[in-house]
Amino acid sequence: MTPALRIDTHNSPIVAVHTTSGRGFTPEEVASRCVEKLLYVSDSAPKEIRDQALAYKAHIEKIIAYYMKEAISSHVTTVYNALNDAGRPDLAELIRRL
Amino acid sequence: MAFTANFVSTSFKTELLKGCHDFTLTTGDVFKLALYDNTPTFTAATTAYTATGEVAASGSYTAGGGTLTNVTAVNSGTTAFTDFADITFTTATISAYGCMIYNSTPNTTSSAGLTNPCVATLWFNGAKTSTAGDFTVVFPAADATNAVIRIA
Repeated sequence: MTPALRIDTHNSPIVAVHTTSGRGFTPEEVASRCVEKLLYVSDSAPKEIRDQALAYKAHIEKIIAYYMKEAISSHVTTVYNALNDAGRPDLAELIRRL
Repeated sequence: MAFTANFVSTSFKTELLKGCHDFTLTTGDVFKLALYDNTPTFTAATTAYTATGEVAASGSYTAGGGTLTNVTAVNSGTTAFTDFADITFTTATISAYGCMIYNSTPNTTSSAGLTNPCVATLWFNGAKTSTAGDFTVVFPAADATNAVIRIA
């Protein structure tokens, strides 16, 4: 008998929810999510390959977090200058100190 | 608890065969994600978006939910799948138990009278809360094993 075409989704929770209170996500938290999209390491992979892949994954996560921080710092500079140009040096200084 | 499982709407399966849904990135339909408290009872028989039980607007979350970024449907081996990019509602105070993905711009030529047809309802396995913070729904990896919607 030919199997029927199945359109389905998982029975267990399929989406994860990450939340914060009183702050946004840190670069490390976002990098952790990002690397999960980039690399999937199978539980059934041979141990040597799995260990190597996990080490690579951890390395990539740190690089992503580093460059996110660079981007945030650069964006702060942009916002600082925009606020200064708008005549709000007090707010600019507040942003710079974040 | 009202949210106890994930459901792909049966009506969505029918609508797929009628060509009502296009998951193509940019040029496809607009899919949205709405968040809910624990009062609605969604099942496979759920057919469309409802505001009943939806969480209140807060921060960047507005009534009807947020617009998702589609992952164009592709296949791997004999499994076709589609997915969405993660979505974040910022500076929001939200407590939600689950969500609904629905199509806000379906092809009504293929099926007249469709308004905000439901694709699927997904549970969060309990209340998820943000307080003046970020609320992010993280979708699984877009592959043949994990993607949110797969045709095997």
